[in-house]
Amino acid sequence: MTEDKHIKEQKIVDQLSGTFQNLTGKVKRERRVEVSVEKKLIPSVLSYVKDQLTFTHMSHMSCVDWLEDEHFELVYILWSPELKVQLLVKTLINRENPVIENVDMIWGQLNTYQREIREMYGIQFTGLEGREEFVLEDWDEMPPMRRDFDTAEYIKDVFFERPGRDGAKDVREVIATRSGEEIPELAKKYSRD
Amino acid sequence: MPNDKKSQKIVDIIQNAARKHSLFVLAYGTGCGAIEIPPTMTSRYDAERFGIRGMATPRQADVLLVTGYLATKTLKRVIRAYEQMQDPKYVIGFGSCTINGGMYWDSYNTIKLLDKYIPVDVYINGCMPRPEAVIEGFIELQGLIKDGKANGATKYKENIDWYRANQKKVIKNWNMPDYNW
Amino acid sequence: MREKATTLYLGPQHPGITGNMMVKLKVEGDTIVKAETHVGYLHRGFEKLMERRNWLQSFTIVCRICVPEPDPNELNYARAVEEIEGREVPERAEWIRTLVMELSRLASYLLWFGGQNGSAGLYTMPQWSVGDRDYILDLFEELTGGRVYHMYIWPGGVRRDLPEGFTGRVLQTMDYLEKQLVKYDQLMFENTIFQKRAKGIGWIDPAKAIEWGVVGPPLRGAGFKSDVRIDDPYLIYDKLDFVVPTQKGSDVWARSLVRREEFQQSINMVRQIIDKMPAGEVYNKIPNPMKWTIPAGDAYVKAESARGEFGYYVVSDGGNKPRRVHVKGPAYVHGVTLLEEVLKGANISDVSFIMNSLGTCPPEIER
Repeated sequence: MTEDKHIKEQKIVDQLSGTFQNLTGKVKRERRVEVSVEKKLIPSVLSYVKDQLTFTHMSHMSCVDWLEDEHFELVYILWSPELKVQLLVKTLINRENPVIENVDMIWGQLNTYQREIREMYGIQFTGLEGREEFVLEDWDEMPPMRRDFDTAEYIKDVFFERPGRDGAKDVREVIATRSGEEIPELAKKYSRD
Repeated sequence: MPNDKKSQKIVDIIQNAARKHSLFVLAYGTGCGAIEIPPTMTSRYDAERFGIRGMATPRQADVLLVTGYLATKTLKRVIRAYEQMQDPKYVIGFGSCTINGGMYWDSYNTIKLLDKYIPVDVYINGCMPRPEAVIEGFIELQGLIKDGKANGATKYKENIDWYRANQKKVIKNWNMPDYNW
Repeated sequence: MREKATTLYLGPQHPGITGNMMVKLKVEGDTIVKAETHVGYLHRGFEKLMERRNWLQSFTIVCRICVPEPDPNELNYARAVEEIEGREVPERAEWIRTLVMELSRLASYLLWFGGQNGSAGLYTMPQWSVGDRDYILDLFEELTGGRVYHMYIWPGGVRRDLPEGFTGRVLQTMDYLEKQLVKYDQLMFENTIFQKRAKGIGWIDPAKAIEWGVVGPPLRGAGFKSDVRIDDPYLIYDKLDFVVPTQKGSDVWARSLVRREEFQQSINMVRQIIDKMPAGEVYNKIPNPMKWTIPAGDAYVKAESARGEFGYYVVSDGGNKPRRVHVKGPAYVHGVTLLEEVLKGANISDVSFIMNSLGTCPPEIER
């Protein structure tokens, strides 16, 4: 990643780290820039890049659960139609008390993303309006996208399972023994063990 | 008019033969299998040759085609649509996910066995089944109707308590009206 | 006189709705004053399931996220994995991938031709275009073994090379489709009923289109020359010669014209690809999939699907399973915030017409 190759990308990083303190950024590759900020800076960074740096299009917003490190990582993915650069703004929030400010006044569609993340991860966005239920209905367990929610355990109690799935761990072996065939050598190296 | 068993049998035969040639399918694309319904219904496969066509409302429909996995939220609507349908009514389970959960066997939000919640007359397997397989499934159903064996709806009425208990296990907030057919 | 407002539930069981979703409408007379999208009827928890499957097993389920157009999903997933891992893709594989993408775009537009006209009550078009779509599905079946879900583009290349004589059959189909396009013009674009239905309906404010997150044909219909294939080039699109059509109207009619022009462009692109395709390997072998680990890192990749930008955010923690795969389909915006905005002031009879023109597809909203 030579720096003189990505001039416009490096300029964005410089401009952002000059404006905000405690902001670390790097150029990932051509047209991809990544910055990390503290969570309290998120509203000001987002409105700054939208108004000053022409990142007018909000592509995506995502959340990653880092259970081992005890935090959630929120990622705001923006696109500048003029510069043709994708900007990833990342922030970490505490897993114990996941609260962050609502930013759907900057982009209206963030309302949908935030409502989904609230439902799927249990992250609270202060001042977020809209129905509590977005995708799930009458869900009273832990938010399902959290890493410590075990879906395989959950289905054992709630749903029925047709018998036979346990014995059919490797379907090819079962079929082969049933019909008296042998698994060819070339398939054996992709065995599950 | 004599009302003995023998003449009733003749009436049944005629009735079933007539029924099997006009299967109105409820147009409810519950899952991804709904994408193979347009090819089945339009010019290439033309399911209308067999008297199979779409119908917009549950009350006029004969066949509920469960096209794939059912999320628990959809299951509630499917049960409601199924109970609104008038006799005679049949259910076709379409795709592997209705049989044993298929790809989504460990998903927290989809049911795995459709026949624990509503009675299924015919299963079509595959992910997803081709239009030929869909037509094959319908012909299978027509055969069952002709022989008077497609009695899922009767089974449902007789075992309503068992079905209800299963349904309520998944649907936590049961706020649906009771239909007394 | 002001009429009393009533609430109308459109869906989930409704023949006009695109897929399994529901729009709650507040109507006065037959004018909509407020619309609210309800989704979740198709939620399978894909992203949770992928955390439990290894990198190769996840590849088999990503295509199920979008039913009418599964290939952008496979491509995005493969490209994201390749970007994090730094895996090279043989050049011929890139060309075949582009061919598959353009064929899938054609198939998706044919389905859209049917849906757009079917929702206006013109039922000849679905009979024709959905039937013609099957010719493309036949090609896919020959190439990949599957009609709808292909599982063909995987990390490291594509699963197998083109069968013998395949390119000839593709060209034949393209000639046929080009001939059919003339008939579609007569049936759809020269049809006064369709023109009257489409013009001025479903207007999106061009001044707000970018900010609202509009992508794909609706954005190009609003006058913006925006296409991922040009803005953020991927595969071999920079070696192909094509134009990005735009329109000014920003209504259903403009979006229909954009799609019609893109259909022609895709046919041209397929011909160019077959003409220029190099020979060589198609697959850069991956290690034993059970033990295949990807170094820690993340990537956001996007591709232009027939309905707009399809984005994948993939995170790896260095293990043999994805940490997070987050999918952004165009309908995530088109089907919720944008639809709610566009439906304000529309007629009840235009709801499914507008939804088809925006390309709302619920499976990718809730996944």
